[in-house]
Amino acid sequence: MKILVLKNGFIEVSKKSRKKQCSFGMLLLLLTAVIIFCISCRKSPPPEPYTPTPYQIEIPYGFPIMLNIPTDNPMSVEGIELGRTLFYDGRLNGRTHPDSLMSCFTCHQQENSFEVGKPRPYPFGVTGQSTHHAMLPMINLVWNMGTFGWDGSVGSIEEDVLVVISAPTEFDSSPEKVVNTIKNIDGYPEFFKKAFGTKEVTVDRIAKAIAQFVRTLISSDSKFDKYLRGEEQLSPEELRGFVLFTTEEGADCFHCHGGSGNPLFTTNKFYNNGKDSVFTDPFDRFGVTGDPMEKGAYKATTLRNIELTGPYMHDGRFETLDEVVEFYSKQLISTPYIDPLMHHIVNGGIQLTPNEKADLMAFIKTLRDEEFLTNPVFAKPDRMPGL
Amino acid sequence: MLKKTQVKSNFKYSFLILPAVLMAFVFSCTKDEPAPKEAKIILNFTQFCEGQPLEYDTMKYVNAAGNHYLVNEIQYFISDVKLHRSDGTFQLIDQFEDIHYVDTDIPATQSWQVFDPIIAGDYEKVSFTFGISEEKNQSLMFVNPPERDMFWPDVLGGGYHYMKLNGKWLAAKNLVIPFKTNNFLMFLCQTPSSPDDILKPFNFHLGIGQLYADSSMNTDSITGFVQNYFEVELPNSGFTISGGDTLNFEIRMNVENWFQNPHIWDHNHWGGMIMQNQEAMKTACENGKEDVFSFEK
Repeated sequence: MKILVLKNGFIEVSKKSRKKQCSFGMLLLLLTAVIIFCISCRKSPPPEPYTPTPYQIEIPYGFPIMLNIPTDNPMSVEGIELGRTLFYDGRLNGRTHPDSLMSCFTCHQQENSFEVGKPRPYPFGVTGQSTHHAMLPMINLVWNMGTFGWDGSVGSIEEDVLVVISAPTEFDSSPEKVVNTIKNIDGYPEFFKKAFGTKEVTVDRIAKAIAQFVRTLISSDSKFDKYLRGEEQLSPEELRGFVLFTTEEGADCFHCHGGSGNPLFTTNKFYNNGKDSVFTDPFDRFGVTGDPMEKGAYKATTLRNIELTGPYMHDGRFETLDEVVEFYSKQLISTPYIDPLMHHIVNGGIQLTPNEKADLMAFIKTLRDEEFLTNPVFAKPDRMPGL
Repeated sequence: MLKKTQVKSNFKYSFLILPAVLMAFVFSCTKDEPAPKEAKIILNFTQFCEGQPLEYDTMKYVNAAGNHYLVNEIQYFISDVKLHRSDGTFQLIDQFEDIHYVDTDIPATQSWQVFDPIIAGDYEKVSFTFGISEEKNQSLMFVNPPERDMFWPDVLGGGYHYMKLNGKWLAAKNLVIPFKTNNFLMFLCQTPSSPDDILKPFNFHLGIGQLYADSSMNTDSITGFVQNYFEVELPNSGFTISGGDTLNFEIRMNVENWFQNPHIWDHNHWGGMIMQNQEAMKTACENGKEDVFSFEK
């Protein structure tokens, strides 16, 4: 307790009190020193984990708002850029000799709607072996909810990349070989650090980066999209084709291929569309589900940019769209496996007149998206690591 | 200073204080929580044919017109479910979901855990709209699958199919009858007796109908549209629900009744597609109103 004494008109602390105050001060000093010591010995807080710049997909008019982006592979600006670079890098198959380079780009070319193009009905891999089926274009795959490929056997784009690396008909390589090649290219480890916060190159991160890039490949600016948005008018011929496309008494394409209510122009479902009478392909939908009603059933492809993605059907049997329209018009084959939606089978097909065929073709061509085919953000980067 | 009369008055009512305090004490000491007055319901959707669960892709059914047929898949909407009380009032199910999609290929759609709290009490019946009302049936309201794939072309009236019931029928006498057993598709073959023997697909699709100026079914001659959705009052659907309860109900589609009562449906007459045939859709919907749906507790 302090004792206050009035001295010369000033209040002073008594000597007794001053003595006590002194020892108290020492104690306080000691205590402070101990606290400072303790605090200084404490570990500094861990640094904030690195997070790349998040990337948000803009949903085009009429498109699904439900996206297939795995929770363990969120999209980022840096991840997409790494994916784009790997997509176009011929060393992605784990080889560096100029004659054996192969990347996604080898077959998935932007000018062909990320398809191989007509001269090669079946793409073939680095060893010259062909794939089981003709190609499917890489387009609007962020809306494929988990059934990739003609038979829907692949569950994700990431999984598809891993399949491609090992498949004898494609890269004919191994994850170890690919990782070893990529990690030894100057610039890639830094690229991975920007995308994933670590320089360590793994095959999973390679697959994730490529999948991120592929999910950005969105086509939503065709003439038909502009028509739906009220920005452009279709010609009378195209409009007649649209009516044929979207009516049951017409060509009835819309039940499987979408339309104004489904601008993806595919349901991403599987149908036996009456091509064959015997079904021996082990890679049809039946091969995945075991449901006998799915023998000879394959994915209904998107019709976006379809004029660029021939040859057509799972086995590339039709060279041109005209042949396809002729098939649906007159050449359907009835079997117990045919999908019930193919009700025109009772007449052998939709029985279009030459004028109707021309109208239908005119409409289908409104699904060509030049912006998608020439968008520089989908193109090969100007600079590749180590080159 | 209190007046004498005031004191008297205060005193007069003081006898009420003691019982009030006692009552408050008694109630405050009651251990039981007040009974909740809200409950929950789950609507389960099933498909039956001839009194048994529907078997898909098997040519085992014969309709009232004598057509052998199989069902491949069914997809449909019901909306505006109402729980009716005896006093004429009803509770509309609309808080989180007012249109429900059912798909025989997607089990998750076959059970609807209704979000709306149900007021405890007695209900006389359950009703719903088969399809979607004109006010609600707007194009592009469903952009995600699977509902998206029900879109009804704008040129034919827009909005969404009320139902797709896809199957096949034997157009004449049996030629090849597929039936599925243990995941194998088997065929019962008979000697073709007529060149017309053929397995034909049917798309029993219902939605907005069109009126045509002529019989061409050309969309240029459409003069108007017809809303074909209809109200279904489920027979024997009265129930009592207590607060805190969750009751499961089954809304059963009796598939064979689409093809009978009051109209016998002959696939050979109506053919494989009816989206542009208002007379066919009207006939189908009149059958639908009758006894296609039943209610099981």
